[in-house]
Amino acid sequence: MSLKSERRGIHVDQSELLCKKGCGYYGNPAWQGFCSKCWREEYHKARQKQIQEDWELAERLQREEEEAFASSQSNQGAQSLTFSKFEEKKTNEKTRKVTTVKKFFSASSRVGSKKAEIQEAKAPSPSINRQTSIETDRVSKEFIEFLKTFHKTGQEIYKQTKLFMEGMHYKRDLSIEEQSECTQDFYQSVAERMQTRGKVPPERVEKIMDQIEKYIMTRLYKYVFCPETTDDEKKDLAIQKRIRALHWVTPQMLCVPVNEEIPEVSDMVVKAITDIIEMDSKRVPRDKLACITKCSKHIFNAIKITKNEPASADDFLPTLIYIVLKGNPPRLQSNIQYITRFCNPSRLMTGEDGYYFTNLCCAVAFIEKLDAQSLNLSQEDFDRYMSGQTSPRKQESENWSPDACLGVKQMYKNLDLLSQLNERQERVMNEAKKLEKDLIDWTDGIAREVQDIVEKYPLEIKPPSQPLAAIDSENVENDKLPPPLQPQVYAG
Amino acid sequence: MAQAHRTPGPRAVSGQPFVFKLVLLGSGSVGKSSLALQYVKNDFKSILPTVGCAFFTKVVNVGASSLKFEIWDTAGQEKYHSVCHLYFRGTNAALLVYDVTRKDSFHKAQQWLKDLEKEVHLGDVVVMLVGNKTDLSEEREVTFEEGKEFAESQSLLFMETSAKLNHQVSEVFSAVAQELLQREVREAQAPQGDAAMVLNEGPTWQAKCCAH
Repeated sequence: MSLKSERRGIHVDQSELLCKKGCGYYGNPAWQGFCSKCWREEYHKARQKQIQEDWELAERLQREEEEAFASSQSNQGAQSLTFSKFEEKKTNEKTRKVTTVKKFFSASSRVGSKKAEIQEAKAPSPSINRQTSIETDRVSKEFIEFLKTFHKTGQEIYKQTKLFMEGMHYKRDLSIEEQSECTQDFYQSVAERMQTRGKVPPERVEKIMDQIEKYIMTRLYKYVFCPETTDDEKKDLAIQKRIRALHWVTPQMLCVPVNEEIPEVSDMVVKAITDIIEMDSKRVPRDKLACITKCSKHIFNAIKITKNEPASADDFLPTLIYIVLKGNPPRLQSNIQYITRFCNPSRLMTGEDGYYFTNLCCAVAFIEKLDAQSLNLSQEDFDRYMSGQTSPRKQESENWSPDACLGVKQMYKNLDLLSQLNERQERVMNEAKKLEKDLIDWTDGIAREVQDIVEKYPLEIKPPSQPLAAIDSENVENDKLPPPLQPQVYAG
Repeated sequence: MAQAHRTPGPRAVSGQPFVFKLVLLGSGSVGKSSLALQYVKNDFKSILPTVGCAFFTKVVNVGASSLKFEIWDTAGQEKYHSVCHLYFRGTNAALLVYDVTRKDSFHKAQQWLKDLEKEVHLGDVVVMLVGNKTDLSEEREVTFEEGKEFAESQSLLFMETSAKLNHQVSEVFSAVAQELLQREVREAQAPQGDAAMVLNEGPTWQAKCCAH
């Protein structure tokens, strides 16, 4: 062996070539002197340890960082990985892991000043199984950016909000009413503090409150929207079933002052339905309210176009009921409950949003209680419609089929229009042909006429009969002229 | 349905000071909307609603202080009566409107009062009985005295108006505003004597800091 190495001229001790662990195999400097087998074992151990450390560190840092300046991408990566996943992907994860950790460090160093503050409030929390979505991160970031503009007050608010969020984490087992109560108390205390201590002007308080609501509710949404501890879901299904059972209700029965025959109006109706359905996709109570308000505005427009005058509440509520019946918005009760429990109360009781929300509550309550009388129907008719035995449309007239659905109606209308167009087209074609014929006839006629005239009066060029010089000689009327004046001499 | 957590005072949690919510109650076609529309229209400063006539806001000056009215119109048809209690949540004032030419609307107004009583503590809410359509005097079915008598028996404010002729319309609202402010002052005085002074001097929302 040594001979061989000498021959090659490399001064390496035999022991150095062997695996450091002494397993008898050759080692490799690339594996820190281990053989491939030992290296793998060693490496795993170290990695395991490091992963654990990293994970703990990452979690700690991430908590702080997220609450300060969250970088959405890096958070995303770290949060979604659980420990078991780390074990599975040990080998190919190394680079990614390292960069993630690096990001944590760089991010947290940026917020060094904030960290001290955070530390004191930090609870010895167990590892929270937080599944933060991109949206949550974005909202957190926005919230922090927003608070930055308020300097000291912003910091104060941030601290309070953070404390509240931590508190809420432990209150997750409480009933939803208690959680709601906590949230409402929080809104009130923050707003009051801002006004009294921070001397923030009211309109700014409102703005900040909106941001706070957005931040906390985006994060709490998952836990407090339609929670399992309540019967919200049951109610959702109940109202959904109820609305489905009422599919036969016509605008006439509800005295809805909306004429969907007018294209603009039916457009508005569709928009209103879209808005009310969209409500379910929003997380923040205020955004949900905004959907209701948008829907209401479309309803008002629809009524205005139909009636040619601004709508009053007498017109609005029936139309809203009709829209809810037509749209059957998903998780309606859950949404209403969620808004009631977690919206900033000042927004709910007063203001335009509050007004439309109250109307929606009225509409839902009405649909729940709806009976024969409220639709001006006899009890028998109502029961028959509800049981699905008959449909009012079928009874009304034989030509129900075109009325059956909007699409079919539109199709009939279009067909009608097409046939009309066809007719017109034919007429135009006929007229055009006639015009063409007329034109040809006319040119022919002119040509003929010209020909006739040419034939009738052929053109002859005669030579001049007399010379021009004799013009006076033949002046026959010369003698008719008075005699020329003679000069006369008068005596004197 | 949605449960009422609490009734925030007019100087509610955040922002806008002295906002008073006022609901318009009464059976169909007694002129609730016209009354509100007429009132809001009078004021060249306020922006008229472009699409709907169901929700209005208007700033009113009463003496040195000013307040903001939020007027909530309600659907008056009989069939919606059962759900209308939802409108009452957090209200500060209510106008019970009836048509002087229709006795039934007067009875209906009394029923509204009962409903209102169920939902809110009447002592907290300023209620005014309003007999509308006085321009149709020859068709009158409810006399001024009848209205007045009922209002007094229930300790309500009372007025007769004509939304069509714009008679007494703004008076109705100013009377309510005045009453609301007086109550505010009384309340503010109770816990702390000088709150009322602040109320009359500075921007109204400052009163809040003292009162709480």
